[in-house]
Amino acid sequence: MELGSYSDQSKSTFSLADEDHTIANAVRFTLNQDPRVTFCGYSIPHPSDNRVNIRVQTTGDSAREVLKDACQDLMQMCQHVRSTFDKSVNDYKMSKTVKDMDIK
Amino acid sequence: MSSDEDESMSEQEEQTKSGKEDNGSVLDYIMSLESVPSKLPPHLELLKTRVLCKIDAPQHTDTIQYSGAYAALGVDNSIRLDNFRQNFKVQVNRLTEDDIEFDMIGIDPALANAFRRILIAEVPTMAIERIYMANNTSVIQDEVLSHRLGLIPIGADPRLFEYPENAGNEKNEKNTIVFKLHVRCERQQPRITVKSNELKWLPNGSELPSEDIKPNSSSKPKTFTSFSCSQDSLPEFSGNPIAPRNLDIILAKLGPGQEIELEAHAVKGIGRTHAKWSPVATAWYRMLPEVVLLKEVEDELAEELKNKCPVGVFDIEDIGKGRKRATVARPRSCTLCRECIRGGKEWEDRVALRRVKDHFIFTVESTGALPPEVLFTEAVKILEEKCERVITELS
Amino acid sequence: MFSVGKQLPYPVVGDAGIDKQFLAAPIKSAVDKFQLLPEFLKVRGLVKQHLDSFNYFVKTEIKKIVRANDRIVASKHPNIYLRFKDVRIGEPSIMVDGSPEKITPQTCRLSDLTSLINKQGYSLDCAVKLYSVATWKYAAPILVNVEYIQGSPGQMTRVEKNDVVIGRMPIMLRSCCCVLYGKDEAELAKLGECPLDPGGYFVIKGTEKVLLIQEQLSKNRIIIDTDKKGNITASVTSSTEAIKSKTVVVMENEKIWLLLNQFPKKVPIMVVMKAMGMESDQEVVQMVGRDPRYSSLLLPSIEECAKSGVYTKEQALEYLESKVKKSMFITDSSEKEGRAYSVLRDVFLANVPVHQNNFRPKCIYVAVMMRRMMDAILNKDTMDDKDLFKTMISEAKMWIDKFLEKNNKTSRFDFSHVIPKPLLAVQWSACDNIEYISRDTITNGLERTLSSGNFDIKRFKMHRKGMTQVLTRLSFIGTMGHMTRVSPQFEKSRKVSGPRALQPSQWGMLCPCDTPEGEGCGLVKNLALMTHVTTDEEEGPLISLCYYLGVEDLELLSGEELHTPFSFLVIFNGLILGKHRRPQRFATSMRKLRRAGKIGEFVSIYVNEKQRCIYLASDGGRVCRPLVIADKGISRVKEHHMKELTDGVRTFDDFLRDGLIEYLDVNEENNALIALYEGDATAETTHIEIEPFTILGCAMGKQAMGNIAYNQLCRKDTLLYLLVYPQRPLLTTRTIELVGYDKLGAGQNATVAVMSYSGYDIEDAIVMNKSSLDRGFGRCIVMKKKAVTIQKYDNNTSDRILRPDRTADNAGHMQILDEDGLAAPGEIIRPNDIYINKQSPINTRTQIIGSAANLPDSAYRPSREKFSGPEGESCVVDRVILCSDKNNMMCINFLFRHTRRPELGDKFSSRHGQKGVCGTIVQQEDFPFSERGICPDLIMNPHGFPSRMTVGKMIELLGGKAGVSCGRFHYGSAFGERSGHADKVETISETLVKHGFSYSGKDFIYSGPLGVLY
Repeated sequence: MELGSYSDQSKSTFSLADEDHTIANAVRFTLNQDPRVTFCGYSIPHPSDNRVNIRVQTTGDSAREVLKDACQDLMQMCQHVRSTFDKSVNDYKMSKTVKDMDIK
Repeated sequence: MSSDEDESMSEQEEQTKSGKEDNGSVLDYIMSLESVPSKLPPHLELLKTRVLCKIDAPQHTDTIQYSGAYAALGVDNSIRLDNFRQNFKVQVNRLTEDDIEFDMIGIDPALANAFRRILIAEVPTMAIERIYMANNTSVIQDEVLSHRLGLIPIGADPRLFEYPENAGNEKNEKNTIVFKLHVRCERQQPRITVKSNELKWLPNGSELPSEDIKPNSSSKPKTFTSFSCSQDSLPEFSGNPIAPRNLDIILAKLGPGQEIELEAHAVKGIGRTHAKWSPVATAWYRMLPEVVLLKEVEDELAEELKNKCPVGVFDIEDIGKGRKRATVARPRSCTLCRECIRGGKEWEDRVALRRVKDHFIFTVESTGALPPEVLFTEAVKILEEKCERVITELS
Repeated sequence: MFSVGKQLPYPVVGDAGIDKQFLAAPIKSAVDKFQLLPEFLKVRGLVKQHLDSFNYFVKTEIKKIVRANDRIVASKHPNIYLRFKDVRIGEPSIMVDGSPEKITPQTCRLSDLTSLINKQGYSLDCAVKLYSVATWKYAAPILVNVEYIQGSPGQMTRVEKNDVVIGRMPIMLRSCCCVLYGKDEAELAKLGECPLDPGGYFVIKGTEKVLLIQEQLSKNRIIIDTDKKGNITASVTSSTEAIKSKTVVVMENEKIWLLLNQFPKKVPIMVVMKAMGMESDQEVVQMVGRDPRYSSLLLPSIEECAKSGVYTKEQALEYLESKVKKSMFITDSSEKEGRAYSVLRDVFLANVPVHQNNFRPKCIYVAVMMRRMMDAILNKDTMDDKDLFKTMISEAKMWIDKFLEKNNKTSRFDFSHVIPKPLLAVQWSACDNIEYISRDTITNGLERTLSSGNFDIKRFKMHRKGMTQVLTRLSFIGTMGHMTRVSPQFEKSRKVSGPRALQPSQWGMLCPCDTPEGEGCGLVKNLALMTHVTTDEEEGPLISLCYYLGVEDLELLSGEELHTPFSFLVIFNGLILGKHRRPQRFATSMRKLRRAGKIGEFVSIYVNEKQRCIYLASDGGRVCRPLVIADKGISRVKEHHMKELTDGVRTFDDFLRDGLIEYLDVNEENNALIALYEGDATAETTHIEIEPFTILGCAMGKQAMGNIAYNQLCRKDTLLYLLVYPQRPLLTTRTIELVGYDKLGAGQNATVAVMSYSGYDIEDAIVMNKSSLDRGFGRCIVMKKKAVTIQKYDNNTSDRILRPDRTADNAGHMQILDEDGLAAPGEIIRPNDIYINKQSPINTRTQIIGSAANLPDSAYRPSREKFSGPEGESCVVDRVILCSDKNNMMCINFLFRHTRRPELGDKFSSRHGQKGVCGTIVQQEDFPFSERGICPDLIMNPHGFPSRMTVGKMIELLGGKAGVSCGRFHYGSAFGERSGHADKVETISETLVKHGFSYSGKDFIYSGPLGVLY
């Protein structure tokens, strides 16, 4: 859900249902990394509401697009984390088996 | 040194030119100016990358996320995806069946924490959710026994199951695992302890009739599940039967003549709903400790420093002429007890305890449903799914 | 004022001697005397004051009462009599169909009347066996041996009969009459009893009743006080086996008056003196004391007396006769002597006996009262502080004694009232007059009194309410605390602060911490750990011992000799025995005899220099406590004694017998100098505390949830709170181990973070971790009892239980019913579910035609019982118990169980009174975590600490953390650091450091939502 104005698309609040700090804090991080963003922040209006509001203000671009890009960035980072992690785990397992073999 | 500077100068000049040609942003322009340094001054760099752990509280704990935070200094604080890809490293330190410890370098706490949170609360597992109590004459109350059963980790891969909501709450072989527990302590026998190994998997589903049995109906009595086929006929389970992950969890104690008979139905769920579905005992990280000796610590002081630390961070090396000097040998084992900086201002001036803000020593302790390394990739996947959901919601 | 002021109660070495000895003495190593505590508790127990009092009553007092009124004579035929020869209490039993059947406390607890079956899915008719008992309580028969005259007036024969039941006595659990007496743990378990249960209460009608310890002003002691108008009074509350009266001597308008209930108006004291034979004014003055100041104070009273024209004994009696209240009971004897005379003899200062019309002791007593009063007028310091504990005694079980005495008398009166009738009817020979002893008077009287708690004894003008209370069974320690509670005699509503203040003399006797908040604050007290309340002791031998030790008999002394300098009055239990010329020597020899075990260990000897009196006391109700005796500051208890104790060669009683330890009451404590620790002892020290923390009681968390007893699941409490996973505290204390709190724990150990979090923790609110709650933290079971009676009506009809109709409209609500119409144990019950399918006859008044059993269905209307409770809360039928109640009707008890997890608004507390409600419940991932991944169970706001200054809690936080990391229980006993019964904060902190924690207990933690270090 987006709460913003039609005339000025550069600032907007997005309300994500069933989400919490997990995504909001991560997205805030990627949003902050984007030079187009002048302000971003999030809040959880009430702890018994399963909802998080993300505020995005940009230098001019559409806040929605910027947020989408931020999510995209986050996703790509995750993908990279995953591949790197898998690789290291494999490396570790390989080295370990080699070590075990060495011992034997 | 001078040659380096020259090189960078020439680079900057090139950038200046290209920036002007591209009619680039103001930031790029400022960056290109000669008098503006491209790197942060060391004291700011320290505050940006390190948490300073003082005797009573840590300082500069926050990460500087905003891309334009140092714009006035001409430093771009944004991390481009490429940069991230270049800098991000994972180093596995320990991997066993139940837990993994790895270093995650070059990532913001926001992301590392997101993984931690998802591991605890959102990676699904199977756990016992419904108990059909046929008989319980033991001292332990029905609901307490049920609660204990619920907390038993089930050694079944949750990825092979569906959420019960997806099937309209119908219990079929795709969303339910059925266990049976029937223990009796015979009279004149010593007391027995019921452990989780008494839980027996029923691949064909429930055996308890859900309605009163009509004596003349020849058809199979209706039970609490509707399995279309036996679970052990499915390829995933044919080789390895499903059982509780730990077989020595005490569930109840039975005195002579007491009996427990029940059926337990496990379904898929997430830790946010109830901690029993949490796949980890706990998952956490700590930032890499950095211990720096600000002054040379020599002789008796060195000895004192070495003895002060309960975990052996410091070591002593000989610097000749019978003199000794303290060195930081094992900074990783620092537990932040701050014992080395206790004892007055002079110690605080000698030793600096710091944390590296983008280096995480991440530990995952699995409860056993999935191996810990799989849990972590699952958690990352879930974060990706979340992003995808937001993107689809926004477009 | 007095030259004897220099004398100290215990001999002291001269100044020069002290130094030399002190320097030459070897360095004392403190002996660890802790082991004496469990031994003390083994001998005396925590509720020994109750048990001792009851045992004393059952063994001694009851015999005394019966002996005092042993002969009952038919008033018209003095030859016909009945004599009680002996009395004893039998074994606890009930009468079943005329024959006694032994009972155990547990069966009494389980039944309002009779415990029958614990319905575990059986049908109703399988095991019903209804006892027909009139009352169900844990009681034993009172058996007497009697001798009486039988036969017609012409030919009378003397008959003796043994073991006649005259009534039933409720038995205090674990007393010497109880079946649990002297049983070991296994035997107790077999009887369904919890071995940790202290006993000391009664079971009446299925409920446990405690007789509260009452605090009241000492009886038979002169108490100087001011009345409402500011006049100085001297009052004595006399109490003997026969009578209880209050005598007040008051100074009003410069004259001295006597106030006594039998005289409607105040009477001049000089007239009373004259009436008692003290005709010479000079003798009175001499008795009071020759100091001219006393004489001048006495002069107006003498003048008043002369003005009224009273000079002789006869005139005085005549004068008093006109003033005395017209009594309803006019007996022959009082007619003869005159009422005033008998009042003076029997009521006025009843504690001073009059032998052969010798009023002299009474006169001296009055003189001493006046002298004390005048001292108070001349010198305000000598005023007794009524709030001072030393004038108060805790009268533990006197009440029941008095009550039984009264009942015994009424039974006698009944008896003598009954006898004449058959005599007149000339059927005397036919009937055995034993039958006329009314059994129910005593039985019902005792039962009514104990279950209602109202003590009304008309003869003594005593009306007390709330003397008994239902034993609280909310937690084990709450039960303990309830047993040691001391209730006050004042009304609680009075807004006075004086009696509420903590008195120095309460040190070691009453717990300084344990008092309720609100109206009872400071008035309701609790006994300390090692307090003992005395019972009466034989007076005769002690009195003759006093004379033997040089007390000059009162009879032989003139008024002049009474108050000679250097001689002290010897007052024994409020009775003036005489005087002694060498008081210190007398006191020392008495004490030596006590330490040698020649006289009772609870006899107190107190030398009051100011009043120039030696007070000896052997009466019951004084609180006292054991102390180690020290000679010139050197403890008598040595290392080898303690070793013998741990080896089991020596017991606590041996310590007493060998004169290593003695009991001191509040008065005698004034003569002692008690060192807190052995190391603190100086040459003047006479006693050393056994363990300093014994000055405290056991006030820990009375509302705490946990276990209440080992047999908690076999009990039938109306409301029972249990914790699913109770734990032993990581930071224990010695007291906890002594009272058995470590075996029946309450509460759980929690990982606590003291930090601000989320704003839902202001005003002491607590933030809780949802995952911890999911895993069973704070989970509790609440059991509620509902009772349904199957009523029988006058017209022979009765309620009935029906098999549920499974096809009816409300079959949905009847699902949990068995075929017998009662809810089945183990079934989940929801609001509006029916748990008993009962029907009542419509006509319950008028007689019905035909058999009551064959009433048509139409004659019944449904009276089903619906389960009421908050919507959405599902309980479980835990047990169904069938029994019969006192009217012999079937009573069905349903126990409903509800397991709850903590929710918003539930109250939690640490052991330091830092209570708070749960403000919010937060997911684990939002909770902070430490370097080692530790996540707290709950978060407390740090603002609760500075103003409360709960340093103990800070120590507990550290000690608990150290305990977890090193795997050892840590100790935090009060005052324990010095004697090694508590871990020092320094050592705890060092343990923390050794395990890589901060010295101060502070951890650096990461924010749960953001992931950065806080």
